[in-house]
Amino acid sequence: MGKLHKKGKAGAAINYITRNQALKKLQVTLADFRRLCILKGIYPREPKNKKKANKGSTAPSTFYYAKDIQYLMHEPILGKFREYKTFAKKMAKVMSKGQYSTAKTLAENKPIYTLDHIIKERYPSFTDALRDLDDALCMIFLFATMPKTEKIKSETIENCQRLAAEFQHYILHTRSLRKTFLSIKGIYYQAEIKGQTVTWLVPYQFSQDVPTDVDFRVMLTFLEFHQTLCGFVNYRLYSDVNLVYPPTLDLKLDEGGAGMNALIIESTQSSANIAKTVNQPIISSVAASLSKEEKQRLQESEKRLKSLSSKIAHIQETEDSNNSTAENDQDADSAMDEFPAPLPNLDGTAAGTVTFTDIQKASQHLTHFQSLFSNCVIFLSREVPRYSLEFILRALGAQVGWDAVLGEGSPFDENDDRITHQVSDRPTQGHRFLSRQYVQPQWAYDCINAGKILIGDGYFVGKTLPPHLSPFVEAKEGDYVPDVNQFEGQTEDLAIESGDEDEEDEEEDEDEEEDEEDADEDEDEDAEHKDLHQIELEAEAKGVAFTEFEAKENKKKTRATKAAAVAAPASSAPATRSAGKKRTAAEAEAEEAKELAKIMMTNKQQKLYTKIQYGKNKKAAEVEKLTQKKEQLAKTAKGSANKKAKK
Amino acid sequence: MPSTRPTRKATGTKAAPAPSKKVAPAQAPAKKAVVAPKSKKRTVEEARDESDDEFGEVAIDMASDDDEEDMDGDDESDDAEDFPEEGEEGQDMSAADLEEDEDEDSEGSYMDGDSIVDSQEELDDEDDEESDFDDLVEDDIDPNFGHNLNEPLAPESDYNPIVREYPEIDPVYDSDSSTEENDNTVGDIPMHWYDDYPHIGYDIDGKKIMRPATGDELDKFLSTMDDPDSWLSAHNYKEGQDVKLSAEELEIIRRLEGNRIPDADYNPYEDQVEFFSSKTEIMPLSAAPEPKRRFIPSKHEAKRIMKIVRAIREGRIVPRKSGYVPPKPKYYNLWNDAEDKPREEHVMHITAPKMKLPTHDESYNPPAEYLPTEEEIKEWNEMDKEDRPKNYLPQKYNALRNVPGYGQFIQERFERCLDLYLAPRVRKNRLNIDPESLIPKLPSPRDLQPFPTRLAIEFLGHEGRVRSISVDPTGLWMASGSDDKTVRIWEISTGRCMATYHLDELVTSVVWGPNKEVAVLAVACGYKVGLILPEKLFSPELTLHSEEYLKAGFANVATGEPNPKAQWKQPTPAEFEKGIRVWVHLQKPVKQVTWHRKGDYFSTVAPDANNSAVLIHQLTKHQTQQPFKKNKGAVQRVMFHPTKPMFFVATQRYVRQYNLQRQELVKTMQTGVKWISSLDVHPAGDNLIIGSYDKRLCWFDLDLSSKPYKTLRYHQQAIRSVAYHKRYPLFASCADDGNVQIFHGMVYNDLLQNPLIVPVKILKNVHQRVDALGALCVEWHPTQPWLISSGADHTIKLFS
Repeated sequence: MGKLHKKGKAGAAINYITRNQALKKLQVTLADFRRLCILKGIYPREPKNKKKANKGSTAPSTFYYAKDIQYLMHEPILGKFREYKTFAKKMAKVMSKGQYSTAKTLAENKPIYTLDHIIKERYPSFTDALRDLDDALCMIFLFATMPKTEKIKSETIENCQRLAAEFQHYILHTRSLRKTFLSIKGIYYQAEIKGQTVTWLVPYQFSQDVPTDVDFRVMLTFLEFHQTLCGFVNYRLYSDVNLVYPPTLDLKLDEGGAGMNALIIESTQSSANIAKTVNQPIISSVAASLSKEEKQRLQESEKRLKSLSSKIAHIQETEDSNNSTAENDQDADSAMDEFPAPLPNLDGTAAGTVTFTDIQKASQHLTHFQSLFSNCVIFLSREVPRYSLEFILRALGAQVGWDAVLGEGSPFDENDDRITHQVSDRPTQGHRFLSRQYVQPQWAYDCINAGKILIGDGYFVGKTLPPHLSPFVEAKEGDYVPDVNQFEGQTEDLAIESGDEDEEDEEEDEDEEEDEEDADEDEDEDAEHKDLHQIELEAEAKGVAFTEFEAKENKKKTRATKAAAVAAPASSAPATRSAGKKRTAAEAEAEEAKELAKIMMTNKQQKLYTKIQYGKNKKAAEVEKLTQKKEQLAKTAKGSANKKAKK
Repeated sequence: MPSTRPTRKATGTKAAPAPSKKVAPAQAPAKKAVVAPKSKKRTVEEARDESDDEFGEVAIDMASDDDEEDMDGDDESDDAEDFPEEGEEGQDMSAADLEEDEDEDSEGSYMDGDSIVDSQEELDDEDDEESDFDDLVEDDIDPNFGHNLNEPLAPESDYNPIVREYPEIDPVYDSDSSTEENDNTVGDIPMHWYDDYPHIGYDIDGKKIMRPATGDELDKFLSTMDDPDSWLSAHNYKEGQDVKLSAEELEIIRRLEGNRIPDADYNPYEDQVEFFSSKTEIMPLSAAPEPKRRFIPSKHEAKRIMKIVRAIREGRIVPRKSGYVPPKPKYYNLWNDAEDKPREEHVMHITAPKMKLPTHDESYNPPAEYLPTEEEIKEWNEMDKEDRPKNYLPQKYNALRNVPGYGQFIQERFERCLDLYLAPRVRKNRLNIDPESLIPKLPSPRDLQPFPTRLAIEFLGHEGRVRSISVDPTGLWMASGSDDKTVRIWEISTGRCMATYHLDELVTSVVWGPNKEVAVLAVACGYKVGLILPEKLFSPELTLHSEEYLKAGFANVATGEPNPKAQWKQPTPAEFEKGIRVWVHLQKPVKQVTWHRKGDYFSTVAPDANNSAVLIHQLTKHQTQQPFKKNKGAVQRVMFHPTKPMFFVATQRYVRQYNLQRQELVKTMQTGVKWISSLDVHPAGDNLIIGSYDKRLCWFDLDLSSKPYKTLRYHQQAIRSVAYHKRYPLFASCADDGNVQIFHGMVYNDLLQNPLIVPVKILKNVHQRVDALGALCVEWHPTQPWLISSGADHTIKLFS
């Protein structure tokens, strides 16, 4: 006989712990517990069997993983929370007694906690941190645009602005922006950092009205963590590309509304030079409460900056030149590495292995994408959102200038001859320079998503824009694809080459598919010479049903005739499929067979099948709805066009 | 002179009113005293001084501090003169008058010697003098004062001769308070005690103070009206009259109302007299020597300091560093690539799902088809926030400049935060299977041909539901029984109705006898079962043989006793003419008739007849047996085994197999259905199917299990009838939904191989639904793969 197991000694009963139990165990208040959970990333669980986890009770309760709570017991921050509580008590006591000197000493020894160890604990490696950066970035970009309120301190906002600008600079520097999307909620950006895709959402820059139904304590606790995470990530990112962190802030530019340009990015080598002249870091905050001393310090720093400006300018120039040389080097490298592939365009996907040429191709494609706007000099009119456009354009190599209204620090003005594109968003464009294209802001975003520079005609100022599609949607089979050929034939000469390549690839794909099928039936073809009866017999011996056999035979015949007739164009197959909308007899028969077969499903299978079918049908219905709507719209558009023509 | 000095020194202590021997000839009426306090003071002093001399009494002067010396001098000189004078003066003279006189007198005498300080006082007194005199005149006229006061005293003194006449006490107060003038000594008592007396109390000398005359209310009123200062007066109960408040009194009242100290001159914040101070007094209060602790360092302090010193030495206390300490760098390289390993996947750790990436419809400029219609917007608005599939409505803006800020941005981020730390996380495994893989792979129906696929012949003629059909063993004729109380016989190949038998009850069941040698049709009709010999359809030999076969029984019946449960009867000649040869009368309505394979026995089911629900009749002997003494449940159907002496009985939920030879139960099949409607046994005898009113069809493999080998549920309505084909591996079912379903049901000889069931054809809407009834009966052609079905729409159809 096996060992007797007592109830409630193993499994869910000890794996889970309710929230109240956790509070009792940790001896903290609920508010502190929540803060701890946020900072430590502890979340409730849903046990498979709630009754077992809750010692037989079915009362609704929140469960935590018991070990999570166990680990919280020796969390240093927990101690700090307690210390802070006693500190607050002491402080209140002292203040009520009016012992201000004691209060001062107390305040000097105020318990402070840091989240460094938690960051390291939650993200043991840098990749983990990058993987979880989405939420942090969204939060930081949101708070960078928040107004100062009672709860949201100006220092927090300023720090968020700084972190956001630093991160954007990194993206600019490494040109790692991949996708952008103008949504009704804000602007989505997607960057690829060390192989991880990082997506974040930036609200449109309007003054945010702070809602009352939001618990900002929760938000700020999250923000506290996200700020720390972002700071460490930024440090790491900067140091990985040999930049000085933290970058210095040019106060003058910042006051002039230069936005992220107010940060001066230096590489570590050049900073070494500066370090000789400037011993102290010039980090200063603009919106900080300005005591006399601080004001003095600010002035000093400004002075230093002024004296430095020439130096920095010099350094930056050299840096730029360095960069450009580096790029050239890169190009040269890639050019050197390139050697003719032995087999022209042997597609890796079909073979299932990644060949060297594939990698080469991908890297080429990437470098091409990263310098998408490198030949463009783009000017931003005063009504466009500079905070976004400057970022995305510069992230892909454009030179960007802007109207003085949009802030200080524009490298060139509107009259510059080099300008190739001007982004403006107004009903009509008055004065036009012939040498440049006038486009609406959407052009820039569509270009990035398309991976090529689109001809600006469709985006001309005042024109109705083509629809802006999300680049994040990967169309699967059965999904609705809105407008496939949107960018077809709109590319400039620059990009045509790559487009052709794509088409070729597609054709190859199709060819190969056919090849596969052919391979399957090679033996059949060999057998064609044999006696039909003999074949039938063989098939029967194999267990192939007569109908299948017959169908195969028919297929073979039709194919033979097809092949003989024309080498059909690749696009014919889908065309025929769509054309023959009426159910053929064969299809009806197949459907009937399916219906009959469904009778023989077990109950379980039937339920599962209907479940799957339900989801599928729902999706199909949505697609159907969209297509119908589109047809309807097309009809009405056509009708109105005809009317116009008649008139 | 020397005697007066010590009395002056003790200023501030109140002197008790001392008794005086002197008969007070001059009483001090209060009224006068109020008017001239200063002068009175002097008199008091005089009196006291005088008494000092005479009785050694201590008199106290409270007011005169400043003019001590001068006054003393004056007093002494005056006293000697004045007092006797006073005494000499008659009682008629008021004290005030005396005083005035005195003053006047003294004025002359000490005018030169008086100090300057007093000069002002003197002047005031002079002013008062005149007015006082006026008052005096009035007083004299006033009958109730002074004079009158003393008059009643005279008899008193007579009455009590021992009464000592004390000299009138002058309190010597300098204060202007009127209390001193109030001589009523009754104290703080309710004054109504004196209401019944003519007096209102006693003065300090023990004399009665008479109640001052007061007018009636009218007088009072008139006086208040006449006197403009009446509002300034207050009623003094002790005196029983109204007293006009002086300016000083009013001032006091005003100050009291203002919550201030009544005395304007009183300084509550006097300088403190420092008795113990840093100054070394020549004459200190305490002459104790300086203690030792004043000049020896404290041991306790030294201890405490040493404690701190030790702590500093040991490094427990770190003294604050001087100067600016640069803060630690906030951020540093936290990760070390060489050592760090990415977080391992743990079963219990569930990473938070990332935010969903935006789709096309979230674009600020989506394709037009994504925009919601008005109904969709309305629906979205009416939906609960939680139910909405997406938290936004697609919107289109013509240009980026028109795009407004998103109102719900912060809320959505907040919700995300809540999700991250409050939402329970569960790992949910998505089933990622192709739904088509769930559908079993079945042989194609085409490979399983032949089976009926299309309608070949329709048999029309019945005028009621066709409950039952049967094909004769040769396959040429078909009989059908209907609710229109007829039995018709059809030629299958042409669809012609060959014969019609009108009966008097609804026909529930018709079955051809299986024996090809005997052409007999059993018809269940109400309470009886009839055996019909259809003439003209068959060859004369067969007809003759059948006639004899049917007749044989009647000879037998005569010998045996008539069975009450089933009575075999001869038909009437008219019926005989029609073709009916035998009637079997039963106790309850018959639902089903079924033949034994040999055609001699047939069984009937009458569900209402409890024990005798199932009866087995022998045609040749006209005998009836009741095989079961008791039935378990309501019998629905019965069936003979096609090869063995077995008998199947289907009750509502079970099918029981009995061995007729051994007379025992062989097997009970648990169908799992609620109500069995029909039953058929495979021609080989090892399998059977049942149909049920709850839409199920169960296939039992008798060798396998008592549970169904396969339960199929495909009809939308109750199954009415199931049937196996005698030759082909086919079976069919029909249901109230009007459909007929045909299956390929192959049974292999190999015992290891399970029967193969493949649905091959659904004949849809074969019969129209009438009163919730559809197809009622299916029957296979005995030799051809043809299916015949009958329905509630009065038709019979043949499919080939």
